[in-house]
Amino acid sequence: MNRPKPAAPLLTLLPAMALVPVLIVTWTGLHGGGLSIWQQFLSGALHPSLDPDVLHAVWHGLGVTMATALLSWSLSLLFGVLLGSVCADVVWRSWSLPIWPATGLRRGLAIPRAVHELVWGLLLLQVFGLHPYVAVAAIAIPYSALVARIWRDHLDSADHRPLEALISAGVHPLSALMTALNPGMGAVLMSYGGYRLECALRSATLLGVFGLGGLGTELQLTLQSLQFRELWTGLWVLAAVMLLLEQLLRLWRKRSGVGVHGQRRMLLFGTLAIVLGVIGTFWLRLIVPDQFSGLSWIGLEVPSWTQLNLAATELPWYPMILETLGLTVLAAGIAIGLPPVALLLWPSPRWHQCCSIFWACMRWIPPPLMVLLLLLSNRPSLAIGALAIGLHNSGVMGRLLLEGLQQQSGQRQDALRAIGSSERISWLYGLLSPQSPSYLAYGAYRSDVILRETVVVGVIGGSGLGWQLLESLSSFHWAAVVLVLCCYCALTISGEALSDRCRSLWLQS
Amino acid sequence: MFEGERIALLGRSGAGKSTLLAIANGSLRSEQGEVRWCGASIRSMPRRKRREIGMLWQDLLLVEELSVGQNVNSGALGRHNLIWGLANLLFNVDQSACKHCLQRAGLDADLIERGLIDAPIRQLSGGQRQRVALARLLRQQPQLILADEPIANLDPAIASDLLDHLLNRSPEGQLNCGAKAIVISLHQPELVHRFDRVIGLQEGELVMDQPADQLTPADLSRLYEAG
Repeated sequence: MNRPKPAAPLLTLLPAMALVPVLIVTWTGLHGGGLSIWQQFLSGALHPSLDPDVLHAVWHGLGVTMATALLSWSLSLLFGVLLGSVCADVVWRSWSLPIWPATGLRRGLAIPRAVHELVWGLLLLQVFGLHPYVAVAAIAIPYSALVARIWRDHLDSADHRPLEALISAGVHPLSALMTALNPGMGAVLMSYGGYRLECALRSATLLGVFGLGGLGTELQLTLQSLQFRELWTGLWVLAAVMLLLEQLLRLWRKRSGVGVHGQRRMLLFGTLAIVLGVIGTFWLRLIVPDQFSGLSWIGLEVPSWTQLNLAATELPWYPMILETLGLTVLAAGIAIGLPPVALLLWPSPRWHQCCSIFWACMRWIPPPLMVLLLLLSNRPSLAIGALAIGLHNSGVMGRLLLEGLQQQSGQRQDALRAIGSSERISWLYGLLSPQSPSYLAYGAYRSDVILRETVVVGVIGGSGLGWQLLESLSSFHWAAVVLVLCCYCALTISGEALSDRCRSLWLQS
Repeated sequence: MFEGERIALLGRSGAGKSTLLAIANGSLRSEQGEVRWCGASIRSMPRRKRREIGMLWQDLLLVEELSVGQNVNSGALGRHNLIWGLANLLFNVDQSACKHCLQRAGLDADLIERGLIDAPIRQLSGGQRQRVALARLLRQQPQLILADEPIANLDPAIASDLLDHLLNRSPEGQLNCGAKAIVISLHQPELVHRFDRVIGLQEGELVMDQPADQLTPADLSRLYEAG
């Protein structure tokens, strides 16, 4: 045996080892006290409440959530594309300008991107009070920075030779950019923009769970009062909306092409995004007119240096950071490793369909609700938080993996089957291997997202920086809030740099 | 097909050569008829028996994401279980067997010793990739070799060398590649003298089946004329 050097397909499976410590801790923390509540919860799925008042509340909550998602998505696309274009090197070079302003802006955008939408929501809530636009801004700020990053990455990594040819022929830089780079960017906008709409819906629900209104608030209130039949009314409605949206976006992606039609579709997509944004605005005003009394500035007390110094010494930084990183590693391991391991164990189409349904369920239940459900029969621990975030993100990773596998030709798998390899080996070598570099690259990006998401379960699980942040926000300890936010930013920006390196390494290998 | 036979499969593009080979290999199902190997139907053949049939695909079907050694070892996956398959992804197992097959496939011994086994497939030239695919086939140790236009994209010297590896016989009359029989689809009728038997296809129909030494230029022109 020579030095171990795991190949890409094995690297997709190894992270699943995170499940071992998580399941051991979860198993030892199990208690029977919550079994009857679990029974009630599961039976509630079969008999959701159809009470007119409940239906009305769910319908109203869904309206708020969808309008928030549409408006914030539309704004994030608009600002994201603008900011992404401004911070792309190629744009500045086209005007023969130095690129340092683009570099500076890019670095600056890392901060709004590093802070999770929930943190933005809680912060803005403190500053402006409860207002529908708070949730919209909380989603639009980090999403704009995320869209800007993707847009800029694609602009700068595109083939620039046609652009250089046009500029050298005396074409105005703006026309040259539109002609040379626009067609390729259409596909990016439609594919990534569509995905962002799904994320916006999930985020709007999540913000609701933390009291910013909408369906999430309904779900949280019904779960806290153990009204499982009412909870399931909301969950089924949310599942139906998410499924419908996923199918619509899948259909859109399938039908969207490149070239002339691709450009037309991009224009159509842009127009649609603006129209949906306008619809979102009016819808929100229509549903919650009483809350549109204008944004009020409650204000923040800017902490002094002395307060910051004091907070820096009194907070337990090492345990908090270690807990946050531990949570991230375990959750990322589950999210990345679980889907390929599950598919490898039984590589049959029927099992893959079962997995697909399971992953849809995981995407559909917001992580804080999943934590609360797990806590019905388990002690609070880091493992529960990791399991909740890991399972939720495994839903996203699993769907991505299945979609990627479906696009493979299957020739290699057939060839391996034909030489007598078992179904599992044929699947591993023939299908998973070609898919693994792009899967790992996306896994690296997902780990970034998971690091940001630790704040979501941190506040519930009582661990890490997330918990400290909520504690500090509730006690108006602004010095601690500022420091914890800075720490979060530093962690997520470092994580982003690390995942960027991993991504480029795996995509090149 | 008889033991020791070297069969050339000829026909124009679209005549059905690749389809016939894929059916013979069991990766495609025929609408009619049956393919039997050693008396057993390909369709109902157990997995362990399937490894006796090896295929050299036109587009090689190497796994780009794996190293040369891991690709060569993938030929032996039919003889091993999942644990061995996973170990191969971690350690590049059975290196000596890999090296032996790469040498038999005609790759330079120095190159192999200098770490070719750990090199990613992407770094190889077209000729080297073809040889790695051949090494994978040899690692499988098949009784029957099916090759789909294996020399289509190779320069004449490499093509001739590759055919030597597949078709040459030992003084005892056995094929050097270790198989009992071999079927190769070709677009080079001038090479048929290296085979024992020629099968010609036209629009999916068998139109010729005769000893290679009895083939005339007129037969070939009939086979390649427009259908």
